[in-house]
Amino acid sequence: MKCETKYWGQLDYTEDSVIDFPAGIPGFEQEQRFILVEQQALDPLVFLQSLATPALCFLALHARVVCPDYRFRMSDEDLEVLGLPGARQPPIGPELACLTLIHLDEQDITANLLAPIVIHIPARRGTQAILAGTDYSHQHRIDLVEAPVCS
Amino acid sequence: MLMMKRRAGESILIGDDIEIHLAHIGRTRVKVGIQAPRNIPVVAKEVKLVRDENRAAAESHLDGALARLVARVPANRKST
Repeated sequence: MKCETKYWGQLDYTEDSVIDFPAGIPGFEQEQRFILVEQQALDPLVFLQSLATPALCFLALHARVVCPDYRFRMSDEDLEVLGLPGARQPPIGPELACLTLIHLDEQDITANLLAPIVIHIPARRGTQAILAGTDYSHQHRIDLVEAPVCS
Repeated sequence: MLMMKRRAGESILIGDDIEIHLAHIGRTRVKVGIQAPRNIPVVAKEVKLVRDENRAAAESHLDGALARLVARVPANRKST
């Protein structure tokens, strides 16, 4: 199948590469289907391209690129959306991707560590988990000169 | 900011139409019931922060050389 994208014109994708966000994400509740686009030359950038809206393509990084010891606890509701019911908190790894959305403006580059995009890869389901009881910021500044430091 | 002391089971009124009821007070969390007119959205503050931040992030624009680089590099969809 083909979809229109923000940066690459038409792009081929397969149905099994689509990630479902059953509740959308806050502010974009209608956007429930995304594909991840990664380019070796732009590593570690990840693009989250909406299938419904070509102009909507979030820029993201794996959370541990921004903050190497990033840890989080998801709510039961988020675990259920991901198809991971039960009390166990799954670790970030090959089955669970944890991305942070990047906000670029003229002054700053910030990462939203308060609300990571968590993707359960085998189920192809994603959610934006809003963390409770954490000091992570929704506008964590990324300093490009020095190595990223966690606040 | 107005501060009030209330016990579990008690309520606070904001105007005539909004009632905040302290349903349960636990060790680290309180359970709050909120009655408000339908046209007044009620969300946890973090949800609004994240919604506003997502909208701002969606406007992030790669421009100039970076945008040209992104467009030139063949895109590999990750099949993970």
